[in-house]
Amino acid sequence: LVMRGNKLQLMDADQALKDVGLKEHNLRFTSTLYVEEDGASEKLAEKIYTLVKDKIKDHPTQYSTDGSISVSDVMITVSGDDEETKSVLVTWSHQDEELGSELMEILKNELPVTME
Amino acid sequence: KRKIPGEKRKSFIFGNLNTKTFIDSLNKQGINDIKLEESEDGSIIHLPNDDTLIRVEQGSTHIMCGGDEDVRIKIRDTLLQCLQKL
Repeated sequence: LVMRGNKLQLMDADQALKDVGLKEHNLRFTSTLYVEEDGASEKLAEKIYTLVKDKIKDHPTQYSTDGSISVSDVMITVSGDDEETKSVLVTWSHQDEELGSELMEILKNELPVTME
Repeated sequence: KRKIPGEKRKSFIFGNLNTKTFIDSLNKQGINDIKLEESEDGSIIHLPNDDTLIRVEQGSTHIMCGGDEDVRIKIRDTLLQCLQKL
């Protein structure tokens, strides 16, 4: 609840803090998983897309033609074309911590992740 | 947005990270293998034992690590202690 001039206004707490000049610290995470999977990286990206779409019902999941997957604001990218081990990079911000860690758990449980 | 029962609202974090304070806190957490690289844009903190790189700039921090969630959470919580919050 914020007082503006002589009016009381109900607003989002984060927005209210930003309005008084506090700039939020932008905290981001990128976690890399190494996955044993032959073939093109798009194949693995499509597999991840199907998996995530199936497991995460309450966030919009999109697959882009460049082979990256977005789940709300969390990004998943696959690299290492034609190598036996692919890198899966998951990037999220502090605000999306629950979703980011949930996705990490799903990927670790469902994909052949190797330790490197 | 889905709410996890009992979930606490995340605090609002703001300001810049003092790398010295952060490194001291990492030391206290038992993370002692730390390499600091300073540049014009900010700093890069490398934790070779923990397979982690932390890029610190004005108003932003990017933690890049391997898939070990225990390591990431330990670094995250140490970092959050070093930032101003409401």
